[in-house]
Amino acid sequence: MNVVELTGVRKAFKDVLALKEISFSVEKGKILSLLGPSGCGKTTTLRIIAGFEEPDAGSVFLSKRSMNGLRPYERNVGLVFQDYALFPHMTVAANVAYGMRQRRVPANTIKERVEYYLSLVRLTSLADRFPRELSGGQQQRVALARALATEPEVLLLDEPLGALDAKLRTELQVELKGLLREIGATSIVVTHDQEEAMSLGDEVIVMNEGSIEQRGTPADIYDRPTTRFVAEFVGKSNWFLGCVVGQGQQGSTIRTEDGLELQLAETLEADRAVEVCVRPERIRLTDPGLHRTNGAVVNAFEARVKEVIHVGSDINVFVDMGQDRSLLVKQQNQGHRLTAGELVMLCFGAIDCHVIPSTP
Amino acid sequence: MATTIRRSKRIGDAFYRGSVGLLLVCCVVFLLAPLVVVIALSFDGRSYLGSFPPTSLSLQWYHRFFNTDLYMNGLWTSLRVSVLSVSISLTTGVAAAVGLHYAKFPGRNLLLSFFLAPLIVPTVVIGSSLLLFLGAIDITNGLVRLVAGHVLITLPYCIRTTLAALRNLPPSFIEVAMSLGARPWSTFWTVTFPLIKRGIVAGGIFSFAMSLDDVTVSLFLVEAPYYTLPVALLTEMRANFDLTIAAVGAMLAVVTACLIFLLDRIVGIDRLFGRGVYRNN
Repeated sequence: MNVVELTGVRKAFKDVLALKEISFSVEKGKILSLLGPSGCGKTTTLRIIAGFEEPDAGSVFLSKRSMNGLRPYERNVGLVFQDYALFPHMTVAANVAYGMRQRRVPANTIKERVEYYLSLVRLTSLADRFPRELSGGQQQRVALARALATEPEVLLLDEPLGALDAKLRTELQVELKGLLREIGATSIVVTHDQEEAMSLGDEVIVMNEGSIEQRGTPADIYDRPTTRFVAEFVGKSNWFLGCVVGQGQQGSTIRTEDGLELQLAETLEADRAVEVCVRPERIRLTDPGLHRTNGAVVNAFEARVKEVIHVGSDINVFVDMGQDRSLLVKQQNQGHRLTAGELVMLCFGAIDCHVIPSTP
Repeated sequence: MATTIRRSKRIGDAFYRGSVGLLLVCCVVFLLAPLVVVIALSFDGRSYLGSFPPTSLSLQWYHRFFNTDLYMNGLWTSLRVSVLSVSISLTTGVAAAVGLHYAKFPGRNLLLSFFLAPLIVPTVVIGSSLLLFLGAIDITNGLVRLVAGHVLITLPYCIRTTLAALRNLPPSFIEVAMSLGARPWSTFWTVTFPLIKRGIVAGGIFSFAMSLDDVTVSLFLVEAPYYTLPVALLTEMRANFDLTIAAVGAMLAVVTACLIFLLDRIVGIDRLFGRGVYRNN
């Protein structure tokens, strides 16, 4: 069942169109990530679902009930902000109890639920502390417990881990996802951080300039981006623009403007202009002449190493193919040494070439 | 070479620090000297206006102050006027500030400058125009006139301190409260008010001091039998000058010092007036 459903939601601020006809739905118990650069409309979408903004057109449905014209306090939506917004003049327990008090939940139920949700986020021992006495990670968990305590139909998280440092963030991503799964909370995570979006979301919606670019599982988004924007926003890509010059049973061949010929796994109609993206980790670097022994490799080009950048577990290698074409290759750091100026062979299979379907 | 430069830099720094320190001392002396003279003179034992310093000490001027009906009536009126006008300014001021801060409507800024206008209009103008206006609408009760005048001069301070407190309050607090089911009225009393309370109290104390201290506006609006203490002092000083005024001055200085101390304990003077270039509100 769809807990959240948006149909044709449009919103303009003065004369800037923030959202152009957005429609999507979230199934019960699923986590959806809204990913996009700042100004793409993801935060506006969240604010419309929460009821802080009214859409100019279209509707928001929560559990099949239209939310049109309902104020935020008339909906049942949980919110976790990036700055947590814990009430500084209330203890942790009072923060968690706040929503239930406002909704006139009987006192003994409040007490039980405060205990339950604090134990869920492992903060029972800090119930009588004030928010300023807590670490960032603990504050985040209080904010989560407070939002969950009113048992909302949907939980909205705005950059939930954005205020934490990188190390803690990775740790809490796993914990947060586990927690949301455990209680089966239908959630929408709004973020500009692709790692956060991909690791938390069962599904990801990539937004750009007020529209949905693509919706899919994290793997779909990364491996099969449907637009150039998605491919460029999520991860890094190498681009080949060309025209289909040959077709066979195994796929098709394209030729780029600078005369490179690429084998693709997809069968495409002749003379079609295509944009092809190859992810940097799909390309292997070998010694010149070695590639012919491997049957799977169909695309092989000679190139010269331009720059080698070590980023810990990975090595980013920039190679120069001549004619102003430079590629990024990501290798796992396995101890082998490459030096700038060295001649190498780059190899990738036909299936490593992803054709952007929306090529005009 | 480098050490020489460093040493000369150090000498420059020391000179700079020294002169700033000297200037600071001069300022403090300049500001405090009259106060010291007034306090010393208020304990003068002579019955005539003698030269400084006093040759003998007594509490006769304090005694005289507390035994003169004119001053006692004035003090009573002053206190009533201040308490009444500050209560009115605070309630309307907080309501106005909350409205101005959260409502989005055209002319909002115009309305704000309108509310804050008494800050820049000279008090003489406020006093005289109020006198004419209250006369025209036939309000002759002295207490009502004084309260009206004092509300006018204290309201901008209440609005400003409340607005400053509201600006420091992240909007996410309000939004989270609303998403948790709190209606606007409830949100105000459970979240907004507790978090801006200190700003409101600061505005109240400041307004109280302003009201207690006012001469100009009150001078236009006094109507027998209601006159404020500063007005009483002024008229009495013209008729027969004696050192009772020094005794009142000394007491007012102590009361003001207490108020400022209180203000600092509640909000911190820094927050109320900003911190120079590091102004935070």
